[in-house]
Amino acid sequence: MEETFVEFKNITKTFPGIIANDNISLKIKKGEIFALLGENGAGKSTLMSILFGLYEPDEGEIYINGKEVSITSPLKANKLNIGMVHQHFKLISNQTVAENIILGQEPIKMKWGFLPQVDIEKANKEVEELSKRYNLEVNPTAIIKDLTVSVRQRVEILKMLYRNAELLIFDEPTSILAPQEITSLLEIIKGLRAKGKTIILISHKLDEIKKVADRCAILTKGKLIGEVLDVKTTSIKEMAGLMVGGEVSFVNKKEVIKQGKVVLEVDNLTVENKNHLKVVNNVSFKLHEGEILSIAGVAGNGQTEVADAILNLIPITMGIIKFKGEDISKLSIRERIEKGISYIPEDRQNVGLLMDFPLSDNLVLKNYYKEPYCNKKGILNYSEFKKNGEKLIKNYDIRTSRGNDTIVRSMSGGNQQKAIVAREISMEADLVIFVQPTRGLDIGAEKSIHDRIFDLRKKGKAILLISLELDEVMELADTILVLYNGKIQQNKSADQFTKNEVGEYMMGVHNND
Amino acid sequence: MIKEKNILKRIFISFCGPGKARMLRTSIFCILLSMLFGSLILLLLSKNPLVAYQSLLQGAGVLPKLNYPGKKSQLTGFLNLVDYTTPMIFAALSITIAFKCGLINISVAGTMIFSGILATVLVGYTDLNPVVARSLVVIIGLVSGGLLGGLIGWLKYKFNMNEIVVSIMINYIISYIVSFVINTKFADPISRQSVEIGQNARLNLMNVEMFGLKMNIPLLFPIAIFVVFLIDFLMKKTRFGFELKTVGSNRKASKYAGMNVGKTMIVTMMISGALAGLAGVSYYLGCYGSIQPRVQPSIGFDCIAVSLLGFITPIGCLFASFLVMIFQCGTSYLSSRLGVLREIPSLMTSILLLFSACAFYFQEKADACKIKLLKSRRPKNE
Repeated sequence: MEETFVEFKNITKTFPGIIANDNISLKIKKGEIFALLGENGAGKSTLMSILFGLYEPDEGEIYINGKEVSITSPLKANKLNIGMVHQHFKLISNQTVAENIILGQEPIKMKWGFLPQVDIEKANKEVEELSKRYNLEVNPTAIIKDLTVSVRQRVEILKMLYRNAELLIFDEPTSILAPQEITSLLEIIKGLRAKGKTIILISHKLDEIKKVADRCAILTKGKLIGEVLDVKTTSIKEMAGLMVGGEVSFVNKKEVIKQGKVVLEVDNLTVENKNHLKVVNNVSFKLHEGEILSIAGVAGNGQTEVADAILNLIPITMGIIKFKGEDISKLSIRERIEKGISYIPEDRQNVGLLMDFPLSDNLVLKNYYKEPYCNKKGILNYSEFKKNGEKLIKNYDIRTSRGNDTIVRSMSGGNQQKAIVAREISMEADLVIFVQPTRGLDIGAEKSIHDRIFDLRKKGKAILLISLELDEVMELADTILVLYNGKIQQNKSADQFTKNEVGEYMMGVHNND
Repeated sequence: MIKEKNILKRIFISFCGPGKARMLRTSIFCILLSMLFGSLILLLLSKNPLVAYQSLLQGAGVLPKLNYPGKKSQLTGFLNLVDYTTPMIFAALSITIAFKCGLINISVAGTMIFSGILATVLVGYTDLNPVVARSLVVIIGLVSGGLLGGLIGWLKYKFNMNEIVVSIMINYIISYIVSFVINTKFADPISRQSVEIGQNARLNLMNVEMFGLKMNIPLLFPIAIFVVFLIDFLMKKTRFGFELKTVGSNRKASKYAGMNVGKTMIVTMMISGALAGLAGVSYYLGCYGSIQPRVQPSIGFDCIAVSLLGFITPIGCLFASFLVMIFQCGTSYLSSRLGVLREIPSLMTSILLLFSACAFYFQEKADACKIKLLKSRRPKNE
């Protein structure tokens, strides 16, 4: 039990301008659940990517079972029995479960004695046996795109087990799951440990780590903080304190605020996707000044589409969107922005930012065409770009290596999000839409964004919050609207809900269809 | 031995590594590297590379030749170079601006023929006053090219048709239709090309006698220089330039920021097409005076590599065009003086373009080298 499986020795990895891992030494024992905690940009994912062969360290060595190894590719990692369950699944959506699992290591049979062919029946059988052995229920012949997120995750785990992985790395596995699914995933992880597998869990959700992990290490700014902790004898508060350096108060006190006029009114909104399926089905709601309305739901149940439709990023099939009493359904995106709608998108890197542009350009992305950034002849005034950049960098504590000129790609995820939030809030819009604003962020950054949201609420702005994190919804929302399959399941004041009830609505337990 | 290796690495880093004027340094590195390779080829043929490069420059009018025939001098040679470079500058700019918007416009060759034939037929055979005729030619080049480019942009926006496929098709369609038109209506019985246009519409002043020399003066060259700076200004300082680059970098983010992605793409393609149209009129009504049927001008494709050699910047295009045209204009003098095949100089041009296409790779390599070098140095200090 006490045998060391993986040892990192003095691992250092730098990217231009950033030290992602600074002299990290760690020992991971065979058969334990080892948690890696840390803020965003702390270097957790980099360290694991080194172990999985996606990056090579600049300095330092990795030992597996006491032998020095150089892992140059994921293929090599597979040969060393290391498997990774990525945050974003790497599955082929129009193939079956079994086909995905065997991909690259297909069992071969010879047709007519000489023609090599994939033995799909054998594969199905093997996958079924494997899933029984580890209590991971899947149907080998189901098509991936018909499966829910949690089942897909199981397929990812099986993929690793099929390759005889002894060490499984889970990269933020619970960030996309509903509460009930999280509980079952944690059971699965425990079950894997019982079968003798070693597990590394990357997470920043302290309660989950407390529930399953044996030991945990904390990374901050690429460095290991203190000793490796025994999870059983450390409190959540202590861990959080180490993570952000200082005690964190968990409870945000919600002030009582009188709600004002209706800002946003959505009537019978229906949105169809490319296959003419209704992803948003007849949704209506009202949002008032000083109100935080949160749309809860399991990923892919139409929440993001509601937000996209309000800004006109996707066309609507039916329904009316009214902003301050005025029908805006026919207006262009820019006209809606000018009316006073800010939007913090879910996909910050592909939608919210221009990754290869300097920060100052990104901070005026929605204002660049107006005075003082651009005069009437269409000539840009870059010194105003810089002024605005300096102001926002200071006010919103965006940390960069080169200020205004920093290329956004080189910034950490948390600071990228801060940049978007800075830009959107500084536009002083009356309606601010947040889609997954704290996804993948650490406690410190999360808190600062929550504070901003409360601040906006105090100023009497209307806030539409779309989040998959139930805790966040419960903490922030005044009103909770639960979507399942594009339909409203329930819409009422947050204090009339318990967390479990919301979870049940999210899973469609009370669905009447 | 190890030290020597380090010196080579250090030279490489000082050329391609991070720092000021990196683009320029990397370009120079690419040029030197290709000259090195060119020398190797020449040495294999047992020719003196230095003489070869000298005669290349002499042939292009950059260096003086030993002797000139009557009424010719280095100046006439140089004017010749300028003459052939003018359409290349326009063509490279056309690629550059489309590329910055994330579009790959391969229709430069077709657009050149299109605007060339229109200007030839509409103005080339008339007796209009030279000023009117020449202005008309330029306007026809701008408008016809702009419309063609706009069409490609519109197809892309409206039907999401791949602009590369569309522009390749357009090249063929135009090339064959124009050949048909020339062969049936405007063919010169001797040259089998279109009948040469009148002097009034010609964008070059032909055979001007000055200082005892007979020169061809390309009138569009100053305009080409002006357009280089105009496009540079457009891309760097204007609202439209910002939108163009944003759309080129990320369409989703541009849409989210409220930009009109379709309009930006169409306008960019119109500008790109108009520049290609200018390349067409300066080529067919400047350098030559007639159009050869069923031949797509090689400038229309070389300009892609020239744009890359100029790091997809307008100013870079200007210098890159000159460089590539020096190779092309010096070719005949080089081959006659050293007795090598005409293919050898064009092989050298190809090597240059090949290396320039690797420029970004060199920069990345230099970054990696620098990190390794710094690391190898560290233990010694400790």
